[in-house]
Amino acid sequence: MRAIVWAAAASLALIVVYLALGGASYAPARVADPCSPRDWRNPQGLQQTAEQIVLSALDGAACKLHVSREEMVLAFGSRDALRAFARKHHVSTQKLDELVRSGLMRSIDDAEQAGALNPTIGDLMRGFVRRFPVAELVDLLQQLPGF
Amino acid sequence: MVLALSVGVVLADSSVVTIALPDILARYHVEISTLAWVLTAFNLALALSALPAAFLARRRPAHVFGLGILVFVAASLVCGFAGSFGVLVAGRAVQGVAGAAVVCAALDLLSQLTETDARAARIWTLAGIVGAALGPAVGGILTQLLGWESIFFVQAPVVLFALVALRGARVVPVPEPAERPHVGANVALLLISGGLVAALFLLVILLINGWRLDPLPAGLAVTIMPVAAIAAARFGKTIEPLWARATSGVILIAGGLAALGWLPHAGAAWTFPPQLAIGAGLGLALSALTERALAGRSAQAVHGGWTIAARHAGVVVGLLLLTPIFTTDLHHSERDVLASGTAAVLDSRIPPLDKIAVARHIAVAVDEAKQEARIPDVSEVVGTHKGSAYADLVSKLQDQLDRAVTQAFSRAFLAAALLSLAALVPILLRRREVSV
Repeated sequence: MRAIVWAAAASLALIVVYLALGGASYAPARVADPCSPRDWRNPQGLQQTAEQIVLSALDGAACKLHVSREEMVLAFGSRDALRAFARKHHVSTQKLDELVRSGLMRSIDDAEQAGALNPTIGDLMRGFVRRFPVAELVDLLQQLPGF
Repeated sequence: MVLALSVGVVLADSSVVTIALPDILARYHVEISTLAWVLTAFNLALALSALPAAFLARRRPAHVFGLGILVFVAASLVCGFAGSFGVLVAGRAVQGVAGAAVVCAALDLLSQLTETDARAARIWTLAGIVGAALGPAVGGILTQLLGWESIFFVQAPVVLFALVALRGARVVPVPEPAERPHVGANVALLLISGGLVAALFLLVILLINGWRLDPLPAGLAVTIMPVAAIAAARFGKTIEPLWARATSGVILIAGGLAALGWLPHAGAAWTFPPQLAIGAGLGLALSALTERALAGRSAQAVHGGWTIAARHAGVVVGLLLLTPIFTTDLHHSERDVLASGTAAVLDSRIPPLDKIAVARHIAVAVDEAKQEARIPDVSEVVGTHKGSAYADLVSKLQDQLDRAVTQAFSRAFLAAALLSLAALVPILLRRREVSV
């Protein structure tokens, strides 16, 4: 009988220690809710500002589609991925195009209002966003160094 | 000693190829679900053949043992030289059938050589425990040093050497089995063996495929289990009654498996305390239950056959129950790590254009890793860049990957703990019979 008590105590102690050290929560980090506001990081330089605008736009589009920003980023990895994403979420590529474009326009406005973007650069960006279809943007990304 | 060695080598075959599975996958390019047949074929054949082999061994133990050894050696060579996956699986199945003959006949021969059933049963049981627990470690060492085929080439002469045990062995008629098999002990053995699949198979896969350990260190890391099993089987034999020893063992196995299901960090060292508990539990429970299944029963080989059939049927049940849980969770983990990895890249301090490239590389690497059943190398995914921003990103990505991989195994370990714990039901229900 004493052996059973020792075995139970040892097993219980092992489990309690592992749980106390975070065993039940050792899992990949949950991605942030795209509908919650993110901190504006005071970007330095045009490249970082553009990055924040794009991420903010993706947050907006992801929030409307009830997906994560990360899933949207991966969808823009290739035309095939974009089509698969559109199929999975029952949204046409045109609708996706519109969502991202309107998100970008809004983000450029926000950046201008926050003083992070010069109005002239802002106008240039708006012009670019209005004319460039999202699918072609994907093709452009494929040609960047590192792809 | 030589007979015990042959029993140990045959039963080690149940788990000895686990560490070699990634190399076998690379060699034959089969689906992961198909790959499991390398393990299932052996255990299923052994479970199905144990009883018929035991009945045959009862009449002519020396002949059955000798024939079993020769066929086992031939099947091992076929496995080592297998030109296709089908031939390998067929070889493994023949190994299982021949192994059943060797193990069951060895028990009868041991009884005749030691002249006491109880001592023969103890030697036979200990050899089986050591063999089963040592399998992954030996397989890992051989795979790294000489290649996976060497597992089969090395065991062939070792088993062949056991034929010297037949010199001078007298063939004595064995009486008909006087009693029915001990249902409680055999059902408990089946359930425990089902749970141990997680410790003997999944843990090895986690170390090598999940945490990217080489087969040699992984093999060494899992030697804790057999060492603890041998110590517990040796020093735990004073624990009486047998049902109390078996119960203590089951509680330790379940506790160790549950701790593996709740690992607080990735890393082989975190598996050592649970392995210690599982090994000790294995030594206590398997020795107590096998002793009880054999104690006082005539025709040792037949009752030994029942325990072997129960144990290896348990392994097959464990593989069938735990593999779908593990593969489903692995699929979910791929999705989670893709999302958390992309988030880590987007929130990192590397240049924006590099982020796009790295995020895309992650997607490609995860996809390739899925096809090739391996974990992507984070440094390769990020590429060779200097600077603390890249070092931080590599560290964050590695952390997310470790978390995802470890989590993928969690539910399978917890399910295995429950399966082992279920063995308490037959033990406690039949405890009056188990008390000797």
